[in-house]
Amino acid sequence: MIMLRIGARNLWRSKLRLVLVATLIGAPFFLLLVMQSIGDAVQRQTETLKQNVNNTLQLRARGSMGHVNMVGNEDILPQDALARVRSVEHVARVEPYLLAMTPTEGHNFAMIVGVDPRDTRRLESHGEAGNPKILFGRDLTDEDRGKRIAIAGQGVARWAGIKPEDVGRATLTLDLKRTHPVIFGLDRPPVTLAVAGIYASGYVFGDMQLFMPLDTFREVYGVPEGISWLYVRADSADNLPAVERQLRAMLGNVADIISPTTVAEFQTTATAAVQRLANGGIGLSAALMVVVVFFVMLLVVRERAWEIGTLKALGASNPGLVAGFLTEAVLLCVIGAVTAAALFGLWGGPLAQLIFGLGVSPFLPAHYGTLANSLSLSPRFSAATLGILIGACLFVALAGSAWGIRQIVRLSPMEAIRHE
Amino acid sequence: MNDRAANGVQAPVVQLKQVTKVYRKGAQEVRALDGIDLRVEPPGMLAVVGPSGSGKSSLLHMIGAMDRPTGGEVVVAGRHLAALGDAELTGFRRKTVGFVFQSFNLIPNLTALENVMLPMEFNGVDKGERGRRALTLLERVGLRARAAHRPGELSGGEQQRVAIARALANDPPLVLADEPTGNLDSKTGQVIYELLEEIARERTVIVVTHAEPLAQRAKHVIHIQDGRLLS
Repeated sequence: MIMLRIGARNLWRSKLRLVLVATLIGAPFFLLLVMQSIGDAVQRQTETLKQNVNNTLQLRARGSMGHVNMVGNEDILPQDALARVRSVEHVARVEPYLLAMTPTEGHNFAMIVGVDPRDTRRLESHGEAGNPKILFGRDLTDEDRGKRIAIAGQGVARWAGIKPEDVGRATLTLDLKRTHPVIFGLDRPPVTLAVAGIYASGYVFGDMQLFMPLDTFREVYGVPEGISWLYVRADSADNLPAVERQLRAMLGNVADIISPTTVAEFQTTATAAVQRLANGGIGLSAALMVVVVFFVMLLVVRERAWEIGTLKALGASNPGLVAGFLTEAVLLCVIGAVTAAALFGLWGGPLAQLIFGLGVSPFLPAHYGTLANSLSLSPRFSAATLGILIGACLFVALAGSAWGIRQIVRLSPMEAIRHE
Repeated sequence: MNDRAANGVQAPVVQLKQVTKVYRKGAQEVRALDGIDLRVEPPGMLAVVGPSGSGKSSLLHMIGAMDRPTGGEVVVAGRHLAALGDAELTGFRRKTVGFVFQSFNLIPNLTALENVMLPMEFNGVDKGERGRRALTLLERVGLRARAAHRPGELSGGEQQRVAIARALANDPPLVLADEPTGNLDSKTGQVIYELLEEIARERTVIVVTHAEPLAQRAKHVIHIQDGRLLS
């Protein structure tokens, strides 16, 4: 016990050294926490996608993309499809969408989506899971029904010249007459919409969408009835095949029934790449900490060789001395970890965002370039975080002290005399 | 007087037979001790005198089990040190020998009281007993009032007195002091020597010194030069 107490007290022998070492150990610990939070956030995103997509089917008019102004794809589902689908056993929720396109600069076009404010904001080609993160302003609400109001993806906002600080006051005008090789013009007047919020999807195409209330869409585009897409959620993933069979029997002649596959693509590209980078970052952080602890503890052994010799001359055993030495190393790591955790709590979110942008984004496929904005990179302290901190403290202290321990065991009590 | 001295026949507390210690410095061989025979009976003070590099400290290290001889036999308190493993040597140092170093060697972040308690803690003495005995020993060296002070807050003489109290913590039959006055002024050195003299009334104290006037106050004096005993 005395050696543990001596080990603990040795920490406070030089406050300057303690601050320096805590900083040196805390910095890679902080990086470790940030990398873990990035890995976790991407994993959570994947899990959300899985949960929302694994039990979902998409219905569109047969042979059509269902966009009301897309050349050769303007056919939409009949309005009664909604009620018929709702009647199917094991269908938990049905979400109708209306879609159009508008030409833009930079990207070829943006998607215009009409959606019930209570339904999920699903993103074409990627986020069938939906509900992208609102970066600025607010989401659509029930009160917005029938009003000329919209939320824009950050790509659309950029194209329209809407700045974050203007959200709430900014407007966006859609010229329905404009054409594009795949978009035909509609003989309808231009429409100005108030932009209530800007969202991020983490995906370039997903950011090029504009959501407005379904009723507003019908009025703007002159579509009194019909549905572009129907998202059908079964009450469980197990019942999805049964729902699909019934839908094919009921609507197979008028609808294509599609199982979204984006999750698999997201998992094999973004998730895998981020996890690899996060694990690499965690490994690098741990290695840095081991190196710091190694040098600190080696200095400690050299500086206190005479003390160790004296303790041996007084009858201290090697296991006792090693225990004291390890206590000091573990406590140094704990102080570094607590420092890092405090900093992580204060600035973990913004710094994770920055590190993601600088260190992770360049390694992702180009169309996931804005993924950082869509992730919830707030500092989180879960049981896993605590486990990682404790595990890292023990691992780093043991690995970093191994050489120092070897030196201690080999030191002779004669060191007590050599110092004289 | 303790049991050791109460015994009618005086067994030697230290017995050395033809002890040699050879160090290698590169290709050169240095014979620090060269066939030393020595028998020390308890109690009393033995002074080992000699010039620098004569081998007097090496002799002390062999007796204190801090180093192993190259040849010969070292028997201390009836134990053949050559036969002891590392763990047994640790136990031997803990119970049989008290060390007093020239530079005091107190642990800087422990108080005087804790420094004195340290060897007892290694020896498994319970906490209450450790505290009582350590305070008694500090009182004996005149430092009870300084028990809560750390070494950095004590003078050199006070630190050496704490070191002497620490050497007595486990009531060892043998106290080894390596130039105990070497870092002290003559007046303070005198005080330390008197303290060691007092201790030597009840146990064996072997003091290494090159201060002849101090050595003359010991019961026995041996002179060593080039690793050999002269007297």
